[in-house]
Amino acid sequence: MAFAISALIFFASRLSPIDPINALISPDAASDPANLELLRQELGLNDHIVIQYFNWLKELAQGNFGYSIQSGQAISEILALRMPATLELVLSALVLSTILALTIGLFAGANRGGLADKASRILAVIGIAVPDFFIGLAFLNVFAYNLGWLPTGQRLSPGQVTFMDRFPHLILPVATLTVAMLAVLIRYTRNSVLDTLNKDFVKTARSKGVPEWKVLFSHVFRNSLGPVMVILAFRLPLLVGGSILVETVFQWPGIGSTVVAAVSASDYPVIMVISMIVAMVILVASFLVDIVKSILDPRVRLGGGAS
Amino acid sequence: MIGLLMVTSIILAAIFAVQISGHDPDYIDPINSRLNPEWGHLMGTDQLGRDMFSRVLYGARQSIYIGVVASLLANLLGTFLGAVAGYLGGKFDTIVMRLSELVMTFPQLILVLIFVSLLGQGVNNVIFVFAVTGWMTTFRLVRGEFFSLREEAFVEADRAFGFSKPRIIFLHLLPNTISPIVVAFTVNIAIYIIAEAGLSFLGLGVPITTPTWGNLLAAAQSPVVVNEYWWLWVFPALAIVVFVLGVNFIGDGLRDVLDPRQKSITTKHSFKKALFGRFVRES
Repeated sequence: MAFAISALIFFASRLSPIDPINALISPDAASDPANLELLRQELGLNDHIVIQYFNWLKELAQGNFGYSIQSGQAISEILALRMPATLELVLSALVLSTILALTIGLFAGANRGGLADKASRILAVIGIAVPDFFIGLAFLNVFAYNLGWLPTGQRLSPGQVTFMDRFPHLILPVATLTVAMLAVLIRYTRNSVLDTLNKDFVKTARSKGVPEWKVLFSHVFRNSLGPVMVILAFRLPLLVGGSILVETVFQWPGIGSTVVAAVSASDYPVIMVISMIVAMVILVASFLVDIVKSILDPRVRLGGGAS
Repeated sequence: MIGLLMVTSIILAAIFAVQISGHDPDYIDPINSRLNPEWGHLMGTDQLGRDMFSRVLYGARQSIYIGVVASLLANLLGTFLGAVAGYLGGKFDTIVMRLSELVMTFPQLILVLIFVSLLGQGVNNVIFVFAVTGWMTTFRLVRGEFFSLREEAFVEADRAFGFSKPRIIFLHLLPNTISPIVVAFTVNIAIYIIAEAGLSFLGLGVPITTPTWGNLLAAAQSPVVVNEYWWLWVFPALAIVVFVLGVNFIGDGLRDVLDPRQKSITTKHSFKKALFGRFVRES
């Protein structure tokens, strides 16, 4: 699978009509075809495409990601610079949205038609119909411009270094991402809780006289986590990929905005490496799903055997 | 019903955009630029003095066109592959299945961005990209249905008659799976309209000269617009929200009518039993 993905990424980017060599060479030197030919030879662009592919793979495996066409920086350097910002943003949103979604979802499921249930419905509608960058724009307009409580974007204001300085910058993007992530998660939690509530073992627990809150938290909650975990695991890739739209709205200097910049500049090496990393994380995430599932539900066995 | 009302009113407004707005969406009127919403310019005017209301209406044409055609193509592709793979099984099925996993493994937005950077921008390219990256859900749906359908007695009868495979697949089996496909079609329209908005917002979708809802929203890339000229981005976004909500309501309604088995996750079992009793097909 990993090889298939890497091949797809590599050959797709080679289909491009744009010759990456043009960006590397000064216009003066480009006027002489001999110079172009020399550079091609040096970069190995004249080799057979399959050989090029394996060379690329070899370099990747050795941790040499290549260089950005746009800036000439090493891609590993760019990643090291941008990754913390994305991690900071996505991790906080992921944690926050999970806690909120599990709480709201649990109460919505346990108490149908109640306050939490109504809130979950409204959030679900928002999640379906409102593009997440619009949520971000609305937050910006209200809290940053009109009320002036929070900064309008970026990760840092000039001259600020401590975490307390950075914190206000984090609030709006994280809030936007959280709201966008909440909707689906709440719906899944709620339905999963409802499903579990109908199971026989819940009836057994109740008839044994286990207090209702204990039934909810230790019996229902644990057993309804399965489907929720799947959704969560498929969000993990966001940690490295970043949320492209939200990062753009808030001018957040993360991986997502790097991707956008790379695409607009046809910066293939960068696009290739980032999509490769994201794809790898997705593979790892789906593997994690299986493991977590088997921990939560002993009936699911890893590998062979009846499921 | 509400959904139908929301969607038809927007579609009608888009069709009769000329009569309703009374402004040319591309007419540049620098003196009247950045007007607040008022009578005559219901949604104000943009930086060049173009009437926002008529731009939103003309944008509706493009956005809905992209959503509908892309969804149609993606569903056709998914249905075709799903039908053939589901009926034949074997090697073809394995290959297409791996392919769908491959495409699904990718974060869709990154995939779309790669494609757009390869193909360039343009309405048809965007449609093509959406179709290529969005066929997997329908594929899996149809394939699953075909897996259970191909063992039915009437299919066996078809085979005994010696009907050709295409005839069995497309004339006898496909009509039996049409309702989930229709539901997937409506839901996909909504997804693609939001995707177009996101893509154009990034400046990577439809060229900026064509008004689509996403391109209108792209004005909000500039902080000044976000702050002072709220009508430039709130109205296109509202149009998206209303239309997408409407499409989703229709999708839900269609699902209830066409496919009662999936009515909702919570009442699935009892509802299934109530409707079909012991004739429920085990899946």
